[in-house]
Amino acid sequence: MRRYASSTSRLAIAALAAVTLTLTACGGGGDDSSSATATEVKLYNDKGAWKTYFEGVGKLSKEQIGLGVTPVGYTDEPTYEAFIKASFRTNNKPDLFTWSTGGRLKEIVDSGQVADTSDLWKDAIANGDVSKELEPYYTIDGKQYCVPANVSYWVMFYNKKVFSDAGVQPPTSWADLIKTADTLKAKGVTPFYQTSVLFSFVWFQQLLIGTDPQLYNDLATGKAKFTDPKVVAVMQQWKDMEDKGYFSDPGSKDQPEAMLKSGKVAMGLFGTWFNTNMTTQGMKPDSDYGMFVVPNVTPSLPTTTVAFESGPLCSLTKAPNPEASTKFMKWWVQEKAQDQWANSRGDVSANPKVQIKDPSLNQLNKDAGEGKYALANRFFEAVPPAVLTAALDGFGAFMVDPGSFQKQLETIQKASDDYWKSN
Amino acid sequence: MTATTSATKSRRSLGTGWSALGFISPAVLVVAALLYAPFLYTVFYSFTDYDGLTSPKWVALDNFKKFLDDPALTTSVRNTLFWVVGTTIVPVAIGLLIALLSYGIKGGTLLRLPFMLPYALSGAGLGVIWGFILQSDGAANDLLRLLHLPGADISFLQQAPYNTIAMIVAMTWQQSGVNALLFLVGLQSIPTPPLEAARLDGASGFRMFRHITWPLLAPLTTVVVGLSLVASLKTFDIVWVTTQGGPGRSSETLAVTMYRDAFVSSDYGYGSAVALVLTLVTGAVTVAYLRFQIRGQEKLR
Repeated sequence: MRRYASSTSRLAIAALAAVTLTLTACGGGGDDSSSATATEVKLYNDKGAWKTYFEGVGKLSKEQIGLGVTPVGYTDEPTYEAFIKASFRTNNKPDLFTWSTGGRLKEIVDSGQVADTSDLWKDAIANGDVSKELEPYYTIDGKQYCVPANVSYWVMFYNKKVFSDAGVQPPTSWADLIKTADTLKAKGVTPFYQTSVLFSFVWFQQLLIGTDPQLYNDLATGKAKFTDPKVVAVMQQWKDMEDKGYFSDPGSKDQPEAMLKSGKVAMGLFGTWFNTNMTTQGMKPDSDYGMFVVPNVTPSLPTTTVAFESGPLCSLTKAPNPEASTKFMKWWVQEKAQDQWANSRGDVSANPKVQIKDPSLNQLNKDAGEGKYALANRFFEAVPPAVLTAALDGFGAFMVDPGSFQKQLETIQKASDDYWKSN
Repeated sequence: MTATTSATKSRRSLGTGWSALGFISPAVLVVAALLYAPFLYTVFYSFTDYDGLTSPKWVALDNFKKFLDDPALTTSVRNTLFWVVGTTIVPVAIGLLIALLSYGIKGGTLLRLPFMLPYALSGAGLGVIWGFILQSDGAANDLLRLLHLPGADISFLQQAPYNTIAMIVAMTWQQSGVNALLFLVGLQSIPTPPLEAARLDGASGFRMFRHITWPLLAPLTTVVVGLSLVASLKTFDIVWVTTQGGPGRSSETLAVTMYRDAFVSSDYGYGSAVALVLTLVTGAVTVAYLRFQIRGQEKLR
């Protein structure tokens, strides 16, 4: 009988030990932030290099609305995307996070997790804090989501010294640009930067929006095919440029800003956010380098088309503290916040009231605001994610083997067919 | 009395059984949560269409059917085969050669040392360093040009299949030393009597190796080749760091394809299917190889 009792108590102790361990393991994940005392918002972003700029805005927001910012930066895109998506299904959710517009925004909005910001947009447009033109990029099924984290125009950055040494000026027509490229090439300078990693779509985008902006939009919405003879002609033109040796090595591990600075490469097509890369490389805007809008390939088009991108700052319906997130986003779109955010990075702002300090950037921003350019949504956001992945691979492979363009277009079209069949 | 004793006994053993279970349960739970659950989840996801956002949708064998008609996967399988052949044969052969040539001679350790050093690098580090050497117009091209050898104009990381071959060369550079080390251990463990007997019989050089050393090294060769086989099938780090499987998916291995489909394309179902196939292939190849080897060795005995 004693034995029996002792084995029972042993069993009890063991069970208790197991239960305690399990409970300890599960008990760690409590959320202790309460809405009344929120003084910080965690801002998750895939722009790890912009930490100081986020902190700069955070310092200002702390002063003005009592909410500081803790930036949580990622640099690897897949990791970041997987983390944000996983957070939708767990309790570990960001207060705010950066994302992209277009198909990727629609995808997360469709999951019902992204906070509706329609009221915020209505007020911001009424106050003149956000231009009405931006609204469509943030509208899904009639409602607005997120706020603009950044806006950028895609322009050509060029090394001024290389240009003056070669005796060339920023071109005013496509023919002029090609002539410039020839001159530079003859001087032993590689005219254009290109890369097969991630930004492999850039030249396709530029050539197509300058040739047929409508076709570009139709490709993005699945109304036109990548194998369309006009698209093939654009690829043929791109191939000719590759064959003439206009482009840098697509697989180079050198940073584009370093290549532009050394003068190895004369020009590079980037969003205006690239300004930050150039200045951190120690180059001075307007004296060391300049920027120009790329002229249309087809001269008869009425307006010059410029690629445009806008990245959102979002919050979730089940954010840890929805009031704090909303409060921050309301402040974020206003002039003071945007002045700090845009000018510290040297980019344009989504808020038209912000005075941009960099003169050529300011001119560009003004021209665009006055409707001098037609804007095309950047390829990255314009096409659905599945098509984008195929296209980035296809263009990357094309750069290495330009003769393969027909095959690449067919592969991309297959991804497009697959996507539009089920969506 | 007897009945009572046996009852107590059975109760006690029952009690011990349950309490033992209680004590091991934390460990079992950890193992189940960290090892079994993810694996079973992966198996489940491989039969679904899952974007990581909405709930997984059951699609039965669709992912595996897609597998058969995915051109990217054909490239990936071909590259993985390259890796298997390349990194099981070349580094093992070189490793054996280093071990044989440096074994038992004066200063052998010093001669082997440089081959061992690369092993200090991680796969990622290897990728970064060789990425610089192999980049278009990089150090590798300069060297070939200097020596007037062919290939100076090849972009090693850009053009398929050179990119896969170039990375296999990098891997060989790293792996040969370790293999040499393992073979050396094998050589040291060969008992002296058979060697002396063979020497007395007049065997030397290649004959000695072919008939005495090689058969006696067999158990170790099995291990070295087996390890290389598994390592080559799961090749990921060096490819991801050096080319990210590009350009245009031309240098992907199965492991890279799995990662890309799951995390870059957010097609977790398809990625899981690739993972499952890769696991099954690795398992099958390893079992088949070991069976074959062990049977061979038994015959030898």
